[in-house]
Amino acid sequence: MHAVLAAAQTLKAPDLDYFALAPEIVLTAVLVGILLLDVFVDETRKYLVTQVAGLGLLVSLVPVVALAANGADRSMLGGAYVVDNFALLVKALFLATGYVVLLMSSDYIGEGDYYEGEYSFLLLSSLLGMMVMGSSRDLITIFVALELLSIPAYLLAGWRKRDLRSNEACLKYYLLGVLASAVMLYGMSLIFGATGSTVLRTIGREVGGSVGEEPIVTLGIFFIVVGFAFKVSAVPFHFWAPDTYEGAPTPVTAFLSVASKAAGFVALLQLVYIGFFGREEVWGPLFWVLAALTMTVGNLVALRQTNVVRMLAYSSVAQAGYILVPFAVAGSNPAANATAQTAALVYLLIYAAMNLGAFAIVMAVARKTRSAEISSYGGLFTYAPGLTLLMSVFLFSLAGIPPLAGWFAKLYIFESALDAGTAAAVTLAVVAGLNAVIALFYYSAVAKEMWMRPVPDGDTTPIPVPPALAAALAFTAIVVVAVGVYPQAFARLGDLAQLTLR
Amino acid sequence: MYLNQFLLLAAFLFSVGVYGVLARKNGVLVLMSIELILNAVNINLVAFGAFHDTVAGQVFALFVIAVAAAEVGVGLAIVLLIYRNRHSIDLSEVDLMKG
Amino acid sequence: MLAATKVDVAVFGASAVIVLAGAIGVVISANPVHAALSLVMTLFGVAVLFVAQEAHFLAAVQVIVYAGAIVVLFLFVIMLLGVDRRENVAREELRGQRPIAFLLGIATIAEFVLLTRGTSWVTGAESVVGPASGPGANVETLARSLFTRYLLAFEITSVLLVIAVVGAVVLARRPPPERPEEPEPLAVPERLHTPQLDDAAPVPATEVPAP
Repeated sequence: MHAVLAAAQTLKAPDLDYFALAPEIVLTAVLVGILLLDVFVDETRKYLVTQVAGLGLLVSLVPVVALAANGADRSMLGGAYVVDNFALLVKALFLATGYVVLLMSSDYIGEGDYYEGEYSFLLLSSLLGMMVMGSSRDLITIFVALELLSIPAYLLAGWRKRDLRSNEACLKYYLLGVLASAVMLYGMSLIFGATGSTVLRTIGREVGGSVGEEPIVTLGIFFIVVGFAFKVSAVPFHFWAPDTYEGAPTPVTAFLSVASKAAGFVALLQLVYIGFFGREEVWGPLFWVLAALTMTVGNLVALRQTNVVRMLAYSSVAQAGYILVPFAVAGSNPAANATAQTAALVYLLIYAAMNLGAFAIVMAVARKTRSAEISSYGGLFTYAPGLTLLMSVFLFSLAGIPPLAGWFAKLYIFESALDAGTAAAVTLAVVAGLNAVIALFYYSAVAKEMWMRPVPDGDTTPIPVPPALAAALAFTAIVVVAVGVYPQAFARLGDLAQLTLR
Repeated sequence: MYLNQFLLLAAFLFSVGVYGVLARKNGVLVLMSIELILNAVNINLVAFGAFHDTVAGQVFALFVIAVAAAEVGVGLAIVLLIYRNRHSIDLSEVDLMKG
Repeated sequence: MLAATKVDVAVFGASAVIVLAGAIGVVISANPVHAALSLVMTLFGVAVLFVAQEAHFLAAVQVIVYAGAIVVLFLFVIMLLGVDRRENVAREELRGQRPIAFLLGIATIAEFVLLTRGTSWVTGAESVVGPASGPGANVETLARSLFTRYLLAFEITSVLLVIAVVGAVVLARRPPPERPEEPEPLAVPERLHTPQLDDAAPVPATEVPAP
């Protein structure tokens, strides 16, 4: 007993920077709040929980903005948790994505017989994991954050409890997700063994030095990249994605295909740029193969789809391929390194807006047709011209047509490849270019269906769009168009948000 | 007693676990195989921790165990849900959607 | 670092055999209960290995949490779903797994080759039987580290456990009986796919319409 007390006196409390942790603390408080609120609110007023959750997300954004205005890089717990511009930018991205998803889902979840309060709770807890991921600069924190963002996502995928497809989506996502994190952990254990540290900065120093030549470092990097390839649904580890996306409730699909994927890429950016940068000859080719396969397979399979959700699922697989391109070329030279990081970040931000928008339209249309078949979009223009116009904007942005944001994102990807200048990088750029052309076919097939075809069942009553969904649509559409028209401001954001490397 | 021995044991355990995940069709048994992989990770972590004379390996292993408990709880809830809807947890039957 | 004695080697050998035998038992037994018991065997073997490396607290956690809680949870679910469901091990596997099996197999073989090649410090490293240094006992060192350096990860893990509890309860509980009698709201919720199934009368998988 005395020994314990003596020890307690010598225990030095860690230096926590509460200002830097403020966004996470606020979000955690909101989480606990809505969990309690859900218990005390009766069945007919569950929408209150969703409203408080949405408000909470906006409130969490306040400390993020305050930290950004303050501008100083903060590091704590021996470099395990860093709040720099990169972290703040991705945190803002996650919060905004979460807010839009909440807007999209409020009516959907409220109208079905779902558990509304717990839905917001799990959505926000997944977001909390993503926020932590944005600042994690250490293997343990990355692992815990990854689990915190994944476990609620597994549960949300199975939210339509009595739908067999939703069950299947949930089970597939869960099993492959857990397997992926186990494989990733095995890689982490090898990297930890080789370097003797869990902090990415130390790992980066060691891996760049003589330890980096050890074969176990190569294996560790391989396993970690494979684990995250599952998370971002890169080919050949993508096969869970279409089934999960189709079976999960549509707002959850939007969330998974945007936020969850972005979190995987954020973790990869941190691991690759800080931890493994000394061994680009290991991960460079690995990412090259992943990127080329992911783009090509995703686009080719998307061509054959007849269901919009499934088409968007494969399209989001293909989009992940484009985001992998900067990873493949980052190691070539210092200039390519900086451009590649900006390119990946900018693509993530723009992809979030356009993909969420497309899913919001799918939800709006499904409210009337209750179908996600492409044929059910026939003649949409005759009775819902606004939705048709917006859907075309999102689809052509995803395809990368000039005045829209997606064009600018793709341009950045090409620039990063050309900056690298090696033969492999240029080849990859050519592959990406060809893929952009393939993608145009299936995106325009939907557009053609909407603008030119007759209405399948002749029912031309207008589609009622609830205000929350309309707000989500407006927000994403404004981002897509504004960034496309005035991209310079956005690129500057990406340039500012470079990772603090050493 | 070389570090090598622990790593080889862990590698074998990892391979057996991966085999189990791929070969078993019962959802509960797939989860058990994943636990084997996590144990391989823990052997690695503790051995490397002792090798580098740092406690970080053990701390990492502790987190792996805690998170595994949470994962298994959720996983078994999912298995239960599936069983309730279709009276089977055979994974080869859970295949309504063809990729 | 202590020199390895014959006892150490014997302990390692014995527990390695236990670990691998248990692991193989998990992946080949047709009866899920046998598999769960084999898993206990593996977990105990790993716990012995932890003790051999002076990770006493972790060994205790391994037995209490893993063998005690997780395996019991497994057994609960197996019993709940019926123990007589034997599995035909020789049947066709899940779609799409062969390429990964191949890839991981290659990777693992590569690992063995690389690890035993003998040029790396890993192969030549002497015994790892020795406590992690630092003042005080193993538990104290661990706790000190956990509550200072890894405090944030610790807190996040506690949030994670709460989430797992909430999520598992939501997924596993049956809807209250009075709910299906509620009148459907006017705006019919969209259901993109299959018709809703009734909990009380589950439809066998074979009767589900093909997509």
